[in-house]
Order: sequence, then C-alpha cells, then structure tokens
Amino acid sequence: MRFTELTKNGKFIVTSELGPPKGFHIEKALHEAEMVWPYVHAINVTDNQSSVMRLGGLAMCKVLKEKNIEPVFQVTCRDRNRLALQSDILSAALFGIDNLLLLTGDHTTLGDHKDAKPVFDLDSVSLSHMVRQLEAGKDLAGNPLEGEPPKFCKGAVVSPCAEPLDPQLFKMEKKIKAGIEFFQTQAVYEVEKFAKFMKSVKEFGVPVYVGIVVLKGPGMAKFMNENVAGINVPQDLIDELKKDKEKTKSGQTGIEIAARLIKELKPFCQGVHLMPLGWDDKVPQILKLSGVTAEK
Amino acid sequence: MLITQLKKKEELLPFFKENILLIACFGCKEVHFPSKEYELLKAELKTLNLNISGEIVLDYLCNEDYTAKRLELYRNEITKAGTLLVFACGVGVQTLAALLPDKTILAGCDTFYVPGFSGFTPTSYDCEQCGECKLGLTAGICPLTACSKGLLNGPCGGTKNGKCEVSKNMDCGWEKILLKSKAIGEPNPRIKEIVSIRDYKKSFS
Amino acid sequence: MPKLDYTKYKLKNKEELLNIIGDNARIYIVSCNKCFSELKSTCEPETAELNKLLNEAGKTTAGFMPLDFLCNEHLSEKALNSVKQDILKADAVAVISCGIGIQTVAGLLALPVLGMCDSVFQGGYHGISLNTEKCGACGDCYLTATGGICPVVDCSKGLINGPCGGAKNSKCEVSKDKDCAWESIYNRLKSQNRQDVFISEAPKIRNYNKNNADFMDSNVKRIQAKRNEGFYGGLYPEERKELTEKLVITKIADPEIVSIPLQQHAGAVCEALVKAGERVSLGQKIGASKAFVSAYIHSSVSGEVLAVEPRKHPLLPFPVLNVIIKNDKKDEIAPSVASKGSLSSCTGEAIVQAIKDAGVVGMGGAQFPTHIKLSSAKVLDTVLINGCECEPLLNADNRLMIERPEQVLTGLRLIMKAAGISKGIIALEDNKIEAFESLKSKLAGDACIEVISVRTKYPEGAERMLIKRVLNREVPRGGLPLDVGVIVNNISTVVAVYEAVYNGLPLVRRVVTVAGAGVEKPGNYEIKIGMQVADIARACGIKVPDNFELKMGGAIMGFVQDTLDVPVIKGTNGIIVVRKKDELTAEPCIKCGRCVNVCPMELKPHKLVLFAQAENWEMVEKEGVMNCIECGCCEDICSSKSHMVEIFKSSKKALKERKK
Repeated sequence: MRFTELTKNGKFIVTSELGPPKGFHIEKALHEAEMVWPYVHAINVTDNQSSVMRLGGLAMCKVLKEKNIEPVFQVTCRDRNRLALQSDILSAALFGIDNLLLLTGDHTTLGDHKDAKPVFDLDSVSLSHMVRQLEAGKDLAGNPLEGEPPKFCKGAVVSPCAEPLDPQLFKMEKKIKAGIEFFQTQAVYEVEKFAKFMKSVKEFGVPVYVGIVVLKGPGMAKFMNENVAGINVPQDLIDELKKDKEKTKSGQTGIEIAARLIKELKPFCQGVHLMPLGWDDKVPQILKLSGVTAEK
Repeated sequence: MLITQLKKKEELLPFFKENILLIACFGCKEVHFPSKEYELLKAELKTLNLNISGEIVLDYLCNEDYTAKRLELYRNEITKAGTLLVFACGVGVQTLAALLPDKTILAGCDTFYVPGFSGFTPTSYDCEQCGECKLGLTAGICPLTACSKGLLNGPCGGTKNGKCEVSKNMDCGWEKILLKSKAIGEPNPRIKEIVSIRDYKKSFS
Repeated sequence: MPKLDYTKYKLKNKEELLNIIGDNARIYIVSCNKCFSELKSTCEPETAELNKLLNEAGKTTAGFMPLDFLCNEHLSEKALNSVKQDILKADAVAVISCGIGIQTVAGLLALPVLGMCDSVFQGGYHGISLNTEKCGACGDCYLTATGGICPVVDCSKGLINGPCGGAKNSKCEVSKDKDCAWESIYNRLKSQNRQDVFISEAPKIRNYNKNNADFMDSNVKRIQAKRNEGFYGGLYPEERKELTEKLVITKIADPEIVSIPLQQHAGAVCEALVKAGERVSLGQKIGASKAFVSAYIHSSVSGEVLAVEPRKHPLLPFPVLNVIIKNDKKDEIAPSVASKGSLSSCTGEAIVQAIKDAGVVGMGGAQFPTHIKLSSAKVLDTVLINGCECEPLLNADNRLMIERPEQVLTGLRLIMKAAGISKGIIALEDNKIEAFESLKSKLAGDACIEVISVRTKYPEGAERMLIKRVLNREVPRGGLPLDVGVIVNNISTVVAVYEAVYNGLPLVRRVVTVAGAGVEKPGNYEIKIGMQVADIARACGIKVPDNFELKMGGAIMGFVQDTLDVPVIKGTNGIIVVRKKDELTAEPCIKCGRCVNVCPMELKPHKLVLFAQAENWEMVEKEGVMNCIECGCCEDICSSKSHMVEIFKSSKKALKERKK
C-alpha cells in the first residue's frame, strides 16, 4: 500500500513511529505496534534513531509485515555506504515493504557510539536518486538489476519551522527532483509558521505529513528548544504544561496539546506523523481527541 | 597540517626496554609542540629509574636527508640505546623508523590534523583534496569540509540557530553556502539541478 | 633537488572550466604559486593556460595576480586590496589554487569566485619536508606496536589489527604497485624479534571522534590566536629567563685593562682624543667625531692609556681603533662628571645636551645616538619605552626595572621633557611580573605615563612590532618610528639618560646578563664598557661546552664570538652560551612557506633568497630586503636550513654598493 495512492484518493494519512529495541526481544515493541495499528495507515521504523544503536529496522519491518502491519522503512546514510544501502533496500523489496523514508541521519557524535566512523557516503538526496535508479532497473554504478525492478514510495523529511527556512526549502526542492514523493516533517508546534511553510511548498505539489511529538512536560519543551534542530515550542504551550501539574504528570496536558495541534494543522497538510517517543500507548487517545482517523 | 599531543605515560611504559633514548622534534614548534608537557613527562620518566640514556633535540625529523646526517652525528648514543622514544608527528616517527629499521621505535605522541596543508599555519578553511572541486558552485565554501557530514546536496535538518548539530561552535556549512550565494547574487542553477555523488576513486588511490 | 612534488592542484578540463565560467564576461585571475615544489618561477603555467582559454572563449581578462601561499589570509587580503580597483571591474574572480586558496579568496571578496582547479589527493598528511612517509593524523598513534610503519595510511583498508587476506606476492589487492603494509609491519617486527608486541595487544578499534569538530576548532583558534598575537608573524622561543631573572644586579671585579672601541654607535667612528702614555680619569671623553650622527666615547676607568690601536670588534667584521687603558683602580672621577640638575631644573635643551655629552646610545643593540632621536623635527606624541627584552635568557633590563624603577621613570620623564611629549608608555612582556609591579608601585598616579604588559612573543622588542602592538600604528616600510610620531628607547638607555642628567655620568658601564650552558656563575652584572669578555669569562666561570657557542647580545640576534678577546660595548646586553645550530648545508627551498608565516615585516624571505642567489638585485630590492630587521625568525624555522640572515645582510650591502 503506497501512501501516494492513498493521498491521491483524498485520504488524510496518519502514521506513527516505532523505535526498535536495544536487544533482540521485540515483544514489547510489537505490542505497542499492535495497539497503535488500528488508528494509523503505517508505522515508521527508525534506523538507529539519534545515532543510538538498536535492532535493525529492516528486521523490525519484516516482523510488522508478518503481522499485517504496514511499515515505513527508514534508511539513513550514517552507518552504511552505497553498497550496503542498496542491498538493504533490495532486501526491503523482497519483504514487500512499499514505503521508504530516506534520511541523511544524525551525526555519530550525537549518539551512544561517539567514536564511530560517520559514513555519509551518500546523503538523503543522492540516496533518493539511488532508489530511483534501482526502480529503473539499475544500480548506482549503472549495472543492470536482474528481473523486474523494485517499486517504492519514497519519502523524506523536512523541518518546516527551521530558521532560516530557505536552506530547508532548497533541499526539499532538490529531494523532490531526486524522486521524493512525500514528506514527513520535524515536530511542529507553531501553526502559523507551518501554514506559511505549506504555502511556499504548495507549488511542489508533494504531500506533507506534519510531525507531532507529544510534550511530556515543560522540561522536555525547554530542552528541545535549546537543543533540537528545527523545533521551537512557544511559551504559551510551556506555560500550559506548567499550569496543572497533576494533569501534566499523567501526560494529559501533552495529549490535549497534541490533539489540538493536529486539529489546527490538519487543514494545511495531507497527513500527520506521530512520534510518541515511548508514549505509544497514548497514540490512540490523541487521535481520538483530534478527531482524525485512518480511513483504510 | 599536523599537530601532536603527548601520549599518557601509562601507554608508553609497557614498551620500555633498557636504555631509552629520547628524541624530540621541535621543527614545528612555532605552530604547536607540547614542549611544556614534554619537559614534565621527561622529568617524570627520569624519576622512574628507567635508565634514560640521553636526549636528542632536533628539528624537521621529516627531512630524511638531514635526519640521516644527524643520526650519523649521534651514532654512538643510538647504538647504545635499547629503545628510541620519539616525540614527533607520525611522519617524523616513520621517517626515523625507516632510517633505523633495526631499532625499536616508540611513538611518544598522537598526531592530529588541523586545517591548512602541510607546513602552513592553521587555516580557517579546509580542503579534503576530493579531486572534484565544487567550490565554483558553492560560493567558494566547501561543503565537504564546512559541513560535518560532508553533504554535497544541501543541508540536513540538524541545524539550530545556524549551528551544526555536532557542535554549537560550528556554523552550518550549507547555510553559509546558501547565504553567500544569495549575497553575491550568484544563483547558480546547477547547484539545484545536479545530484552530486562523490567519486572516491578520485581521492583514494 | 626535492625528491617529491606535493602539487596540490590541477586545472580542471576545458569543458568544465567553461561551464563554471558560464556567462561571466570579465574575469580576474588570482593564482597561487604552488607550495612544496621547487621554487623556480613566480607565476605558474596554469595562469597562461587559463588566460588563453578565456581569450579563445571570447572573455576578457580583467587582470591577474600570482601570489605565494594564497592560504595566508593576512597577506592575501593585503595583496588583493592593492588591486581592488581592477578586481571590482570584473564579473567574477577565477582562482587557480588548491581548495584552501579558493576558499580564502572567496572569504575575502564579495564577488563570485570560480574554482578553476581540482585539488590532488596526497593520501595522508606529510610533514614539513618532502618525504614519502605519510601520517593519517588519526590521533591514536599505532606506530609503536607496528615497527614504525603506519597501518592507517599504508594499508589500503587502514586495518589496524593485522592484514586481510587480500595480499598476493606481498602486494595489496588494490594495486600491484602497492606493498602490503601489514607484511612490511610483520617483517619489521620479526627482524626486531618483536612479533609478540603485536600478538599480545588487545584488538584495537579506531576512535573517529578524537579529532572532532570542537577539538579541531579549538586547536585552530588557539594556534591562530597565538600566531596573530599583537602583530603578524614572529616566534615563541624558549624563554629560559629563570636562569637569571631572580639574580640581583651585582658588580664584577674591576678589570686590569679595558679596551674601548671608538665605534660603539650607529654613525661615524670617533677620533681618539688621547694618546698612549696619557693619564685619563673615569668619565673623561676620549673619543669624539664632528659628524652629525655619532656619539662621544668616554673612559670607564682611571689610569694610563697604553695604546690606541685597531682591535677586533664584537659586532663589526673589521678591526676598529680601540683606546687601551691600564686601570689604576682608583676610579678618579673626571671633573666634567657632575650633576646637570634635575627633571624640574633642566630645560629640554639642557637634557638633550647632557645626553649628548654622556654619549648615550640605544643600548638594545642598534646603538643609535639618543640625542639625535630627541632632536627630530617631526611631530611626535608618544615616548615608548621598550621593556620587552624578548630575546631568550636576557634579564638586564628586567632587573633594572625591578631594582631601579625610579630611575627608569625619571629617565622617561626626562626624555618626554626633552622631546616635548606629554605621553609616555612603558611596555613590557607578561613574563616580567615583578618588573611590572615594581614600576606600577612607583608610578604614584602619574597620568602621563602608562605601564602596560603585553604577551610574550619574539621579536616583540623590535620597535616596529612594539609600536604595532601597543599603539596599533604601522611604521611605513623604509620609515622610522619618528614617522608615526613615536620615540622608542629601551630600559638601559632610559637609565643611562637618568645618570647623564642627575649624576652627569657618561655611559661607561652597563648591566649585562651572563648566562647559558657552562656558565658557573650566571647573573646580571654591572660591567664597565671595554672590559674583555675573557676577563668576564674568568670571573663568571664560563666554559663553553662542545656544540655550544658564545654570543654577545641575545640568543637569536646576538653575534657569535670566536674569540673572547673582545670588549663589552654600549650595546652589549648579554653574554650568553647557547647550543650551536647543526652545521647542515642549505638545501634548495621547497616552498614550505614557514618563513613567510613568521616574518614580522611581512616579507617573503624565500623569494628574497631566490632573487639574491640569482643576483637579481632589482627584485631583491623590490621585495623589500631593506626592510628586513634581521630578527632571524625565518632562519630559525627554515626547513631547508637556508642561512637567510647572512644572505639578507650581504644583499643589503650589495644594494648599497650598487647605489654608490
């Protein structure tokens, strides 16, 4: 099931994100996925998210696929050179994985293996170009692939609230030229900024699924403001989180904010992408509150 | 260009044999040589009763001809020495090891790279010798070295306040490229069109 | 002849070049003369090639500038500024250089900069000299356990735990021309019977985060800040001030005989005013000249003139007339030695006269007559007292500031009054904390005088550097401090001025630092002018060890003495014993660029050498040899061991002779 087709059919896309475990026992992760699955079109499986080593995304995607859950295979350029990237993507085709999210990846120094060699043989643009090449029946070096070429729906990411925005738009355009068909965004907390962003990317004609990260408390908001690229949580949301401590502690305030943001952002975009960061159990509640359902 | 940092004493001790001869290269001292740390380490080694047989201070160990001549001058000391502990960059240590293949050569320093080729003073700009210069397209700012990931096709999403995700001291290279391009009114259309993929054959032989 | 060529760039092919040049019609070309290659020409052939290509493509060349070391931002900026008008007429600037050069130009100009070259990969980083060994700068040196052969650079896969299975006939799988590094490592270790070193080591994993962005950035910033501190270039030699910095100025036993040269100053040699057999008293004038630039010579002892004859001079290459006096040790003072008054009682003119009568000259080495500086007709606003004493080992001025701060301050005020200047600055390096405190404590709120501490760097004591550092004024090439409104004097000179006025005592003694290897009794000694170094060597127990040499003056700019039968003169601030330089013969310049990097006068020493050796005096002059201050920084760091200072001294001489 390719997103592009769903979007073409006028469906509002809902996705969520799942981080594979640090270890090979996937029961918990699987349980979370199963809980979220009824409410979403697909579940993104991250690739050593934040440069922290975890179970391989491809294996996790395969397990989801076996449970009839639709995965989005996230692929970064940090840990693999062009050979490994191509073989992993062909492996994904073998498993019937339709959707890819192609990223550059965080730098190694941000994660838990700071000494590692950062690969970055390719970047998100050249990675997309490479997938397109595979789809055309050739590998990156131009050698023919055997048999029917694979077919994917290729996604990428963009930061709608980054400042300055121009470099992001520049890269987005380039990604589209390299074959990107949809975008999932960095977490958005500023509706106006997002609306403005959507206005400037309208001409690209590519669906954008807005990113939502649930705020667990004022501390998290402040931390993200200081350290996370492309994120700015406005002061009124932080104040709101501070107000009713009990509600915030139970996650209720964060859930309400997330649901409200989805409601407000929905008119500007073609879908929503939830990044619950461990609060997967809250996803159903958020979606219910926001009134968004994944029509399958 | 190269600069050095002393290794820790603990790292060096297991390799020591009898009669250690210290060799210190001060050739690049006006740029950077940890001379104070060297003196301290020397004093400490002396207190360990390690039987340090002598010290030779010279410069430009990397100059093979001069080094060969000097080794001739100090032949007796070198013959007597069991181990040569060399405080120099990797080039210096290797030069000496090549000239004295029968001697145990210990490297006293770790060598680090700083931008600026060869002998010249550290520069703010760096060049990776990629063999396919993109500077004409990128407003004279190198995406390989000014971007921590060496991205060739535009910025990643890791920029915050114009700074790179790896360090708040590092400007985002791609933001600089795009700003400068705009400032000099040089909308090179090719920068948007081409998907650049690095040809590593050009730089690694 | 260099064995290797580290050519850093090659011109892109025609098609690529035209593509990059695009619609730009007027092109200015900046090209970098290749570094690390034999220094033959001063403009690379690529420039002509590009120029031809531009012409063929119907473009206009708006001008071109070949430069050395384009990566040297400071000098490149000045050079580009000098042709700014031409550059601004161009649509774009085409740069022929390695990537660093291109980026440097792009950083300096607001115009589009077109990179015309691809940089050539050298595989690892080389040292200063041309050498086949490379270093991967991994920050985790493995050479100890690998027999001094680098696995990071020499193995095509950079394996650090032993060979892969790819070698065939000892050659690497990537190329039959490449030795398997690990086989070489194994053989080396085996020949040393050290295989166990390698086997016993735990598996190694590289730490790619060692040279991370912050670490590299901090290194660059630190080193750059150090290099650019106060003024361009210079060095940080080992100071070794501790040998004598705490030693109080003491008198040395009076010599039996003094030998006083009749030339101890810049300018005309004096005529002897006494003859053999005559009696002289201490402070009596014994030499004078009618020439404008000259300074009187006085007897430093009382006794009998034994002879007036040519003797070896500590600085000059030819013998100079000396007045030889047998010291009767009675120290009978000449009647002319009497106080000329005080700061308040003396007029400016009286002070200048007293200084002239006392034969005071610059005592830092150049020995320029002080009274002439003070009689300048130029508009002056600052007296700058040079308390830097930047040469290693020396402490004579330092001790004077510590022990006689009042004399230093009064001397300065006398000079200010004599020159009619209301602003005085004493600048000393930050390694002289005690002197700084001492002067500060005696300043007593005098708002006209400032005592400032500057970071230690050689040649801080050179007037030009100090003026740039302290006042941020640049003395024009070929000019004097007077041209930018400044009189510079050193500490000993200021004290001599004080003595000349308050005690009427001519310059007959000075403080000299005696220190270095083989000096039994190092110290700061008050020594009579004309005392033989041999006598001082006896008194201080100097035995020059093998491979060492005795110098008069500082460790860097001082003059090597091959005999001890030379006298202390007015400019002798030190008698020191330092390690001899290796007697390695000069090799051809490899354009490593280090001399350019350290020359505080911003000259291009390597070019001066090239032109001087070709006896191209016109270019030697054009490149500014007359501005060389002979500080010796270039020679000190020259990786080809060129005897640069000698070459420049003789170049200056040759130029002067040609002018005659």
